[in-house]
Amino acid sequence: MIKHITVGVLALQGGVVEHLNLLRKAASQLQSSSPKSHDGVEFIFTEVRTTPQLAQCDALIIPGGESTTMAIVARRLGLLDPLREFVKVQHKPVWGTCAGLVMLAEQASATKQGGQELVGGLDVRVLRNRYGTQIQSFVAGLDLGFLGEGEQPFRAVFIRAPVVEDVITPGPSQTEGQGKAPVEVLGVYKGEGQHNSSEQGKGDIVAVRQGNVFGTSFHPELTGDVRIHVWWLKQVLEVVRHGELVVNGA
Amino acid sequence: MAANLHPETNGTVSDDFTIKAGLAQMLKGGVIMDVTTAAEARIAEEAGAVAVMALERIPSDIRKMGGVARMSNPEMIKEIQAAVTIPVMAKARIGHVVECQILEALGVDYVDESEVLTPADDQYHVQKSDFKIPFVCGCRNLGEALRRIKEGAAMIRTKGEAGTGDIVEAVKHIRTVNADIARAKAALATDGDLGIAALAREIGCDAALLKQTAELGRLPVVNFAAGGVATPADAALMMHLGCDGVFVGSGIFKDAETPEHAAKRARAIVKATAHYTDKQALIEASIEHGVAMKGISNAGLKPEEKMAGRGW
Repeated sequence: MIKHITVGVLALQGGVVEHLNLLRKAASQLQSSSPKSHDGVEFIFTEVRTTPQLAQCDALIIPGGESTTMAIVARRLGLLDPLREFVKVQHKPVWGTCAGLVMLAEQASATKQGGQELVGGLDVRVLRNRYGTQIQSFVAGLDLGFLGEGEQPFRAVFIRAPVVEDVITPGPSQTEGQGKAPVEVLGVYKGEGQHNSSEQGKGDIVAVRQGNVFGTSFHPELTGDVRIHVWWLKQVLEVVRHGELVVNGA
Repeated sequence: MAANLHPETNGTVSDDFTIKAGLAQMLKGGVIMDVTTAAEARIAEEAGAVAVMALERIPSDIRKMGGVARMSNPEMIKEIQAAVTIPVMAKARIGHVVECQILEALGVDYVDESEVLTPADDQYHVQKSDFKIPFVCGCRNLGEALRRIKEGAAMIRTKGEAGTGDIVEAVKHIRTVNADIARAKAALATDGDLGIAALAREIGCDAALLKQTAELGRLPVVNFAAGGVATPADAALMMHLGCDGVFVGSGIFKDAETPEHAAKRARAIVKATAHYTDKQALIEASIEHGVAMKGISNAGLKPEEKMAGRGW
């Protein structure tokens, strides 16, 4: 019987405490709302800065921050390969918000000169700073079906946010692509006026999942809204128990 | 260092402020570097800076040249914006509403209403809540920090004494803020709202913000170190004292022998800030950093030569 599930937040830089706070809130809500599904499992939330700390984790959040900085710091610490192993070989549940989504993408455009290193895991190409500079940052209500029927829109905070501009097909060299779960689009932002994407009316992809890898363009951790954290912890619970994701539990 | 960082007005936080303060939250644990050219901005970005501060002269050179220090030329700011993908900040003079409007129109990501430039208004700071762009402001104590937040600042930094390479003033300022917060907590615990109201009168700030600070046990926005950070150990010291991240003004490019030396310094300070509790990392960073800027001792400055006293 599983007693403890350790969830780490990558703490190289960025909005770390915000995620830890919301995770704790989500865990206590989960405990009180559905004690049975919990079955005495205790969540442990911890900051991750080193490879041994990462090895302790059953699941990981890569928070918002500056993805260029995170990649550079992770490289210097020798954390990039252990992170790739965690995501792509061990297939442990991972969630990236904003910069974290960039890190989890296989490709990124509008990167710094010379490009930037990524962890990968999601067969998508992200476009950094999709909406421009800080003055174009915004909050918008998103309908997120995976949160359940009839749920209120989620007040999503987009700060110099990236979006998923394309789902890519893994090349033949990526044998790990065989039998890989498909990329599911879980959230779309349909812009108001000036944010119309080139594919008219389709809107921007701002939440995706592929197998155990989940990414959002926006920052749930900057709100008091605990719903996505609760949803994700439930997924983590399932994966740790059964070793795989319950596809479309929502 | 728990708790989400949002100053409250009537118990709610506006979306507008969430966005402004949110960017600062995403910079935590990082280093923001002063740069004067696109080439320097690229060095900073490659070293892992979370943002750059675009200005015409680094503070140590402003100090040396004297005269009136103003907002930088927009053309130079544009070149820096074009060169990097990380956020670009720029400085406006204290109280200079129009410089702030120009910087907002330029699309910089943050405005620093800064005592490093010559103040434009000897009574008022800019009403920062009127702007869509977020502001960072310096402080020497809690009262000053909360006055700036009340005006709409979404990020705070210590003033320190810019351009000296002497960390002593920045240490004094963060220690003072910490001591003031401890007083606010004690006042709230002992005398409740009356205690908060009395302390708010004494230090000259908004009582609601003071109460929120006492409850949080920290400033209600992100608080960076600035003013005198010259070495990796300086950066780590400021993190150790409770700062959320570090501005490095003159410390990267002043007296650097070559661009490569500046790049090494920049990398070393990023490393020390990210791993300020890891002694081995601090040893490596200190070796990589090499010779620091020569600097000038704060104790040898005349009162009129100090920048930290600017601001009201």
